[in-house]
Amino acid sequence: MSANGTKDRDEHGAVTAAEYVLGVLDAAQRRAAEQRLAHDTTFAREVAFWEERLGPIAESVAPVTPPQDGWARIERKLEREAQAANPRRGVWNNLPLWRGLALASAALAAGCIAAFVYLVDLSGTVSPLVARLDEQSGQPGFIAASNPQDGSVTIVPAALLGQAQHSLELWVIPPGGKPHSLGLIDPDRPVKVQVPPALQPHVSADSTLAITLEPLGGSPTGDPTGPIVAKGTLAAL
Amino acid sequence: MDADTGRQQLVAALARVAEGDRAALRLVYEETAAKLLGVCLRILKDRDEAEDVLQDVYLNVWRKAGSFDPVRASPITWLVAVARNRAIDRLRSGKLIRRSAPLEEAAEIADEAPSAFETLGAAQDAVRLGRCLDALEARQSAAIKAAFLDGLTYDELAQRGGVPLSTMKSWIRRGLAKLRACLEQ
Repeated sequence: MSANGTKDRDEHGAVTAAEYVLGVLDAAQRRAAEQRLAHDTTFAREVAFWEERLGPIAESVAPVTPPQDGWARIERKLEREAQAANPRRGVWNNLPLWRGLALASAALAAGCIAAFVYLVDLSGTVSPLVARLDEQSGQPGFIAASNPQDGSVTIVPAALLGQAQHSLELWVIPPGGKPHSLGLIDPDRPVKVQVPPALQPHVSADSTLAITLEPLGGSPTGDPTGPIVAKGTLAAL
Repeated sequence: MDADTGRQQLVAALARVAEGDRAALRLVYEETAAKLLGVCLRILKDRDEAEDVLQDVYLNVWRKAGSFDPVRASPITWLVAVARNRAIDRLRSGKLIRRSAPLEEAAEIADEAPSAFETLGAAQDAVRLGRCLDALEARQSAAIKAAFLDGLTYDELAQRGGVPLSTMKSWIRRGLAKLRACLEQ
């Protein structure tokens, strides 16, 4: 910052950052500053410096009691936003996890390709089984491929679900039978699940693979406790 | 509630907000809404506008809580920054209708003592800033405080102070440079 008050050299944005935080910029200058904030880390550091240092000026501002329905108004807006982001019905509406869920077609395609590459890679004499686990919306959520040779099931997410509060648990359900847990899966990358020998007979054509939403660490009871995120039936290629 | 506890609770609540916890956002709202409404009202001078912006502020906090870094910022100054940015953007949007409504008429001062800055653990920062502002020329510190609190542009500040624009810019820029030197000591 030049201290002589004549011509200001502001190569690092130090003056602009302080002026932005102080609030003296006009609308266009503020927009320019916000754009710069997004990609210029030096500038962002300057802004953070001033926000933290000048913030306490607000100490002198007297608090004002918000309206009685202040929180209710915010909650209604949050609700509307959540609905707009996720127009599903029933249980799907109640799950904060679906907030912001975006079925990016690119991620979907990547998931399918990954599953395909994996299957091609199987140089098996026994043919693998594959299932597309659809979400309730009908869109593919996961691609699963079983490999009878080594008794494994590979799960490839077709879309990123972004889930930090819960675990996703994979189940195999033989026709007319009850669900058996195959363990937890990662929503962000392909997972190869080793099927216990006792359950391997269940991983057969016409069995259902399902993924449920469970408490962190998986179902506490050994049976599915959460809603089904996606399911599909195993079939020979 | 002592200052450290208040600050830690707010930091913890913001971390939960970042994970999508609505109850935590309500906690943040209840702790800070009166303060932030005061900040918005001071800038907008209109109760309806300020209440409207206040909603935006917490929706913004809901989306942006993940970017709050408790190592770099105190939660209350971070929230004040979010509120001021929303309020100033609204002010600059030129869509304000009732700019002339007198502040006293609209304001209902909350019965809250000690201040949010004390209970939320930013009192020391405030003391240090106060000392550094006091060390400036009176007109410099007055201009900086008015700019911050009322969200005025250089032009508006110059008109209000009855000085040329270049003079106002010079006061504020020199004031900020000295302030920075003092705060970095």
